[in-house]
Amino acid sequence: MKAIALSAIMTLAVGPVLAQDAFDWRKHDGQTINLMLNNTAWTQTLRPILDQFTEKTGIKLRTEVFSEEQYRTRLNTLLQAKSSDVDAFMTLPSREGPMFQKNGWYADLTPFLKSSTSPDYDYEGISKSLREGGVFDGAITSIPINVEGPLFYWRRDVFEKCNIQKPEFLEDLPAVAAKIKACDSSIYPWAARGLRGTVGYPLGGFIYNSGGDFKTPDGKASLCIPETIKGLQLYGELLREYGPPGATNHTYIQVIDLLAQGRVAMTNESSGDMINVLKRPERVEDIGIAVLPKGKETGISKPIVINWAVSVSNYSQKKDAAWYFLQWVTSKEVQAILADGGIAPPRASVFESEKFAKWTNENRPRSEWAKAIQEISATGSPDYQTPSLTRTPEARDILSMVVQQIVLGQADAKTAACAVTEQVQAIQN
Amino acid sequence: MQDAQPQGQTALSVRWMIVPAVLMTLAMVVFPLAYAIRLSLGGPGGASVSTENFQRLASDPVFWSALRITFGLFGMALVMQLVLGTALALLLNRYDVVRGLVRTAILSPFMLPPVVVGMVAIVVLDPGLGAANWVLQALGLPPFLWLASPQWSLLVIALIDTWQWTPFVALIVLGGLQSLPGRVYEAAEIDGAVGIRRFWHITLPLLGPTLLTAAVLRSVDLLRFFDVIYITTQGGPGNSTTTLNIYAYKLGFDFMDVGYASALMIALATIVFGSVLFFASLRRKVAW
Repeated sequence: MKAIALSAIMTLAVGPVLAQDAFDWRKHDGQTINLMLNNTAWTQTLRPILDQFTEKTGIKLRTEVFSEEQYRTRLNTLLQAKSSDVDAFMTLPSREGPMFQKNGWYADLTPFLKSSTSPDYDYEGISKSLREGGVFDGAITSIPINVEGPLFYWRRDVFEKCNIQKPEFLEDLPAVAAKIKACDSSIYPWAARGLRGTVGYPLGGFIYNSGGDFKTPDGKASLCIPETIKGLQLYGELLREYGPPGATNHTYIQVIDLLAQGRVAMTNESSGDMINVLKRPERVEDIGIAVLPKGKETGISKPIVINWAVSVSNYSQKKDAAWYFLQWVTSKEVQAILADGGIAPPRASVFESEKFAKWTNENRPRSEWAKAIQEISATGSPDYQTPSLTRTPEARDILSMVVQQIVLGQADAKTAACAVTEQVQAIQN
Repeated sequence: MQDAQPQGQTALSVRWMIVPAVLMTLAMVVFPLAYAIRLSLGGPGGASVSTENFQRLASDPVFWSALRITFGLFGMALVMQLVLGTALALLLNRYDVVRGLVRTAILSPFMLPPVVVGMVAIVVLDPGLGAANWVLQALGLPPFLWLASPQWSLLVIALIDTWQWTPFVALIVLGGLQSLPGRVYEAAEIDGAVGIRRFWHITLPLLGPTLLTAAVLRSVDLLRFFDVIYITTQGGPGNSTTTLNIYAYKLGFDFMDVGYASALMIALATIVFGSVLFFASLRRKVAW
């Protein structure tokens, strides 16, 4: 009896130590894994510290970085071909998660989490709602790397010069833009995305705050809803009347460039690019950051919030080594480093840490940004197209075409929105 | 005296020599084509063979729009390139002194990668910041939307391609000009055919085969037009620059509808093949 008790005590005492010893960061020392990344602000901030992963684990990284359209083409080609040329990659679960899972492209990370994870990792420390965005059919397919959403950027100095208050309501935007246009012809009052396939992200808040949705109350995909039409009209007409010429060819790259160069007074663009805007010292002084104004009649503020994530390819020959990269890049330590580079962390422990608070309080735009991120995390939605489980890119393309018609003056919002009802319902699955 | 090789051995070694080329053709042409046909005939729910994708082509308004846009771009660009290419070749042929000096500069655009041409076009033709509108405004003209205009973007794309490939056509026509028989021109001069009459009644007909060769080469590229559109407009605004190739790309790589994209590409390959046959048969008729 004494022996049994002693054994139990020894096991309890030694067990954790053994478990810690069982996990070896250098288990795959000497291996090389192929990493594919989209050239977002997260990637730009991560790249200088990638060597730290190799130093820690001995795993070499062969990294490919592309801009978003080319990234998707390359990744889709490799995964379609079931190629082992990619081991770990960035993914946007809200866009492609169900489609990739249906195609069998994601490796299930659940077994790796159970048996091949550092005891310090703390998977549950990552925001639950973001984690669950990467769970399909019970399989954990990705780990969140950030939290982001479109934020309202505005030029305080332009507003002050033109004697205008920051718009309190969404419906105030056109009037504010008109005043800026009359006051200062050297600056575009508004800029936003107009390129096919990209519009939904900044548009979503316009629709929700107007009281609209992307589906009818009985769940059918539709844009032909009065409040949705109102949001579409507001977005399209704002871009048509007050946006830069050629807006239908603009995506976030052009919009952020225009904002950073000081050529735009207002936009609703990704929080992830705040750091790129603030690279210009004058923007640190004159930019304001907030959540998109709420609807005047509805009182609704329902912004868009999404996250990018990292996954392991189901065709990788080095899944475990790739998993080591995933747990390293989503660890508390690395997220804290990336947070110093303006990447909003999906871990509450990092977001609420003293170090991050100190960083965000270093200047006004940063603190406004952090506050806005907290708000959109609490109130936001990741859905910004008509519902479709596996044909989300098509749904986003149809939505963009509707907006383009409004921006180009080819159709009014109601006609354009209602004309695609059959199309969006045909791809709803 | 060298012994003559037995004929049998020569025939055998020639056959073996063409094996690598045959294997390459099978691997790079026949296999992908066969696989694309297989994908295009893949039915819903895993059915082994179905023509559903081809039936869908017939009723898809975007397909017909893309077909019109493809032929529109093809027609505009081909005519401009043949006319301007011929004019450039005549210029280069006439002025011997400057040919060597100017030729490299004039002919350099077609050596540029299409991606570079597209990126330059985006910058130069940006409606807000581009040099093109700056020039227009300096001349007192209103700014233009260029690639952002749903009405004119296709013509702008055709002009970009014409800027890049006219020198290529000029090179081909220049070669043709330099191979024209001199005695015909001597006889024409005696008969009093000079200037534009000589060009219209003698030079142009004699250049027929050369022009058709250039047309064949450009047709294959123009019908499959992709690079510059992908870089500049991605098929927009709306669908105004969505060619068949752009649409197929979107279907295959954005929407993951590989079967339908393959059907579309089979249709495009048929159109390209048909145009090559058409120009080739025309070339045989005008050959001298």
